[in-house]
Parts: sequence; C-alpha cells; structure tokens
Amino acid sequence: MSTTETPSASPSPERADAPERADRQRLHPLSPLLHGAKSLFVIVAALSWQTLRQLGPTHFAMVVLALAVGALIFSAVGWWNTGYQVVGRELRISDGLLWRRNRAIPLDRLQSVELRRPLLAQLTGLAELRLEVVGGSKAEAPLAYLTVREASALRERLLELSGRTPQGSAASGADPAAAAHTVTPQEHLLLSVSNRDLLISQLLTPQAFLLPVGVAWVITQFVMEGSWTFIGIASTVTAMAGVLLQPIRRVLRDWDFRLARAPGGRLLLRYGLTETRSQVVPLHRVQAVRITWPLLWRLTDWLYLQLDVAGYGAPERGNDTGSDRLLPVGDRDAARFLIGTVLPGVDLAALATTPPPSRVGWLHPFGLRFMGVGLHPDVLVTREGRLAREMTLVPYARLQSVRVVQGPLQRMLGVATVYADAAGGRSGVARDRDLAEAWALADELARRARQARQPVSPAPAGFVPPAGFAPPAGSAPLAGFVPPAGSVPPAGLAFPAGPVPPAGFVPPPAGGEPADDSYWQRPPQA
Amino acid sequence: MPIAVDALQPWPDTVTWRPVSSKLITVELIGLAVWQVILVVGLGVGWLIGRQWGWLAGVAAVLLLGVWRATVAVRAVRAWGYAERDNDLMVRHGLLVRRLSIVPYARMQYVDVTAGPIERAFGLATVQLHTAAAGSDARVPGLPPEEASRLRDRLTALGEDRAEGL
Repeated sequence: MSTTETPSASPSPERADAPERADRQRLHPLSPLLHGAKSLFVIVAALSWQTLRQLGPTHFAMVVLALAVGALIFSAVGWWNTGYQVVGRELRISDGLLWRRNRAIPLDRLQSVELRRPLLAQLTGLAELRLEVVGGSKAEAPLAYLTVREASALRERLLELSGRTPQGSAASGADPAAAAHTVTPQEHLLLSVSNRDLLISQLLTPQAFLLPVGVAWVITQFVMEGSWTFIGIASTVTAMAGVLLQPIRRVLRDWDFRLARAPGGRLLLRYGLTETRSQVVPLHRVQAVRITWPLLWRLTDWLYLQLDVAGYGAPERGNDTGSDRLLPVGDRDAARFLIGTVLPGVDLAALATTPPPSRVGWLHPFGLRFMGVGLHPDVLVTREGRLAREMTLVPYARLQSVRVVQGPLQRMLGVATVYADAAGGRSGVARDRDLAEAWALADELARRARQARQPVSPAPAGFVPPAGFAPPAGSAPLAGFVPPAGSVPPAGLAFPAGPVPPAGFVPPPAGGEPADDSYWQRPPQA
Repeated sequence: MPIAVDALQPWPDTVTWRPVSSKLITVELIGLAVWQVILVVGLGVGWLIGRQWGWLAGVAAVLLLGVWRATVAVRAVRAWGYAERDNDLMVRHGLLVRRLSIVPYARMQYVDVTAGPIERAFGLATVQLHTAAAGSDARVPGLPPEEASRLRDRLTALGEDRAEGL
C-alpha cells in the first residue's frame, strides 16, 4: 500500500514502478469456509427432494458432505490464488489457478461500491466488497471476504481515488493514507424507512394476496390425492415458496432501510436483515430514477423509487438480487425530497407530462391517459402503465443515445416511439408520439444532451452537484414540453441541428401551462 | 416549409443521408440462399425418408418465404442509411419496424469493425458504435473497407475529442 506514485502521472511509469507482487493482499483466511458453506446450500438445492427420496437420508448426507468438502477445497485453492492491490488509480485483482486472470480496474470508471454482509459473514465479522464498473455484465470482481474494517477502508480509498480527476489529484497531493483519514464519515441521515411501513407495503402485493389461495390449493390437492408423503409436501412447498415468498424476501432485503448523504456528493444506502448491504453511490453516477406506484399501494398512497447506476445491467423482472433501491416504500413527500436530492433542481410535484395523441387510443384502451412525456429543464420525464404506474426520469446529461422506432401499426397511425437510452439499462420511453413530434423530440433530446454536458466536461472537480433541495426558480411547468393539441405539425421541426438558443422547447406559447396534471392526480378524461 | 412525415427522412434539409453499398443486397441474398439451401435439403431428406406431404409443404413454405424475403432484402438494404452530423451519428434502418438512432460522438465507448466471410468476399465491412447503454443501436453494415476505416477513424477521433463517457 506504499505505492505513493502520483496518480496523475501517466499510466506507463506507474506500471513500471509498481512492485508487482510485493503489495498483493489476500482475502480473509475464513473466506473459503464461508464460500464452502454457501455452496452447501447450492448443493442441497441442486440435489433436490427427489434425490433425497431416492437415496435415503444417510446416503444423501454422505453425498452432500463429499460435495461440500470438494467445494471447500476448491474455494481454498481459489482463495490461495486470489490477490488484490491498489496501484496508482487502478485496482488489480488476480485469481485463478489454471487460468490465471489479472484484471486491472481503472478506478475513474468506478460507478458504485457496495459492502455486502450475508448472514454468515455477519456472524464472523466479514464483508464482501462489490464494485460496479461500466461494461461489466455483473458486479465486477466481488472481493469476498474481507474484514469489515478492511473493506470499509478499501472502499473509502477506492472512492477517494475514483472521484479524483487528474487535475484534482495533482492539486490535492497524492497520499491515499492521509486521504483515508480525512474522510471521516460525517454523513447525515436523510431518510429512514420504518419497518412497519415496509411490512405493510409487502402485504399489499399480489403475492401476499395469492398466498392463502396457493396454500388452500396445495391442501386440497393433497386431500384429493390422499398421498401425504413428507417429500411430496416439501417439494410442493419449496416450489411455491420460490414465487410466493417474494414479499418476504423483499422485507428481509429492505429491512431497516436508511439513506444518508456522505460528504463529497455521495449517497449512502444501508439495508437488509439477513444480508446487510451498505452501498455508496456518488450522485453524479446516477443514470436514471424510476418511480413506481403499484396498484395496491394506492390505498396508502405509497410508491417506491429505483435508481440506475451504469454497470447494474438491464434489470430483470422478478429479479430481486440487484441493489437498485433508492426507496423501498415511501410517501409522496419522501419521494419528492429524495428526487430533489438525487437530481438537484427536479421537483417531483412539478413534473408534468403530455399524453400521446388520442388517435392511438385503441392501441392502449386503458393506459392512454397515464402515458406521457415531458421535457423539463434538467430531466426527461416519461410515464406509462395503467395498473402500476411508472415514471422514469433521465437527466439529459446522462443520455447515451436517442432512438426513434416505428412499427407497422404505428406507421398506419402516423406515430412513433422515442427511446432515451441511459447507461443503467432503463430507457425513458415516450410511446406513440405523433411522428412530427417524435422527430422534434428526438432532435431536442440530442441537443439537450449535448448542452447538458458542455459546462461539465471542462470542470475539474468531477461534477459535484450542489447540496440541498432547492429547485431553481424556472423549474416549474414553464419549460414543460407542450406540443400543440391535435395533430397540427409542431413548430419544433423548425429547429435546426446546430446549436440553438438554450431557451426551453416550448413550440407554441399558447397556454404556457402543461396539458396534463401533476403526476399523482388523475389526468382529465380525453 | 415541407413537413417531414416520412419515418426514414426526418429533417431532410439539414441531414444528408449516406446510403450503404448496394453490394450488401448481394451479400444478404447469398446469406439468404445459403439458409434456403440448408432448410430445403433438410426438408427434402425428411421427405425422402418419410414420404409424407408435410415435408413438401414445408419446402414450399420455405421457398415462398425465401422469395418474399429476397424481394424485401432489396428494399431493406436501401432503407439503411447513416449521417454524420456535427455532434452525433445518425443511423436509420428497417422496413417493417423503422428505426432511427442518434448517438452523440461524446458518448461513444468503442467502435467495432467486423466483416463476415461473405461480406469480405464482396469487400464490405460493418461498423458498430457502442455506448454505455445496452439499448443503443448504431450499426452500419455494408460499408466499403476504406469508408469503414474512415468512419471508424473519424468516430474514434471525434469520440476522443469530446469524450464524456458517462
């Protein structure tokens, strides 16, 4: 850890100077045991109840034991060959016995760092450090396991190195050890979710309502067939548990959710019961925010927030293992406050959208009034969904590409869908916009994406958004994207491709007010 | 001012679209023919073994589909186009589902130049621009090698120039 080579130096001298092997650190010696214990569960699950019936308990235990010992040896060998070290502004991880692999992770590409502590790790005082890097299909290089102290120190150090631009590091000197000391966690708690709310919210899910039905179905099934074998019941229950216990898993995962703000524009999220997670996301790494109002949560007027960080990969439906929670459950005020923190200057209450033209109504017999798109000073807002309403906020500065897609039905209706792709896997989707409007929207998005970046790129300090929750004066519905009513071609087409005056995109200054209400109110009947 | 309502021709007065090489039609047709032959031979063998009319119906269906796709291929290749604007690359393609991608140079992560065996035989290459977003779709097939390397070099130069990444 004594490689105090100035991080601002070009990479080649660093590499030459770096003592290749000397500083390589090992993971904690208990890691193979923990890995072995983890694989025990996998082995048992893979063997399934069916095998237990065929082999009988004694043989089954022996098979499991043999496999577990094998897994243990395998992890021990893996542990012996795994090492990591921080060289300059890179984290290098080497692993593998037969296929040696040396990975250098450039820390300026670091998106977020997460400290996970599964149950066994909590009992042994260990933690797993997961880094999210762009381009990694999954969490790159989970360092499992380190002691909690080591892991937090390493995390601090990595974040410290990652936040520094070359200019900044040259100015502030290069002493990672000193830096690690100065960053004492003077975080201040922004929000915590009460476990009561979390429990109630997960009771208000379709799965929770289906659980009694499922149980009743299983019982009748067995009563009808009259075959009350332990194995039969156990395997049915296991199969059901996979689907129906999702709410319970969510409760366990999001237990004791706390969100704090650490110095240097970072968000600090902590949650979990059996597996605690503590995640640090630099605010400027947030690619998109999604707000969801599930159907049943309307009873209590709740919603949840998810945030996208590049490297999480595309979110899968029903996959709860990702760490994309920004707020597991909360009311409107909490969401408004959080969004104002994460995307400074964005006021959730003022995000109006306009629905697509009414002639696409027969494509979306129910959801039409809940779809919409709005261009706001800093973010693109898209909404859709009839039952579970969703709203996606993509800051223009994080737009990666803009796509316009028109299917055959859409061509008949003269509409097209505009996608605003962000790096986190979610896109802002403006469905079925009038074609002329879609072109104007795409052009405007490309222009705003460019403009949003311009003041940022030369800034040396790595874009630390200002603290506090104070939407600028002009953020209200003023610049809402207001296309003309009906299918009159919007004046937006007149926008040339080059740099245009930065005034908001308000084609006709007809009303100056959005054609739609705020996000939670029912939009007026078309 | 004329209003652009053609899905493939937005902003006709500010954007000059460049077509891809018409040799791509041949490449597509050969690729199609190879698949046709494989499928027809497979189904023919099935007919020889089984002597059932279903196999022949399958052959007919494959041939019909092939003819239809061959006619579409010509128009599909003509539908491909790309335009280099000051700050972004635009790519349009598709007939049934029409797509247009606008990718700012600044968001470029890397550029791929690939050429399959048939493409190589006709001296064509495919340039693909990748961003950090999985959804981005900026692929330009059917470029002559010199145009492909010119585009690649220009993209990388522009990307370096304005690299903002994420």
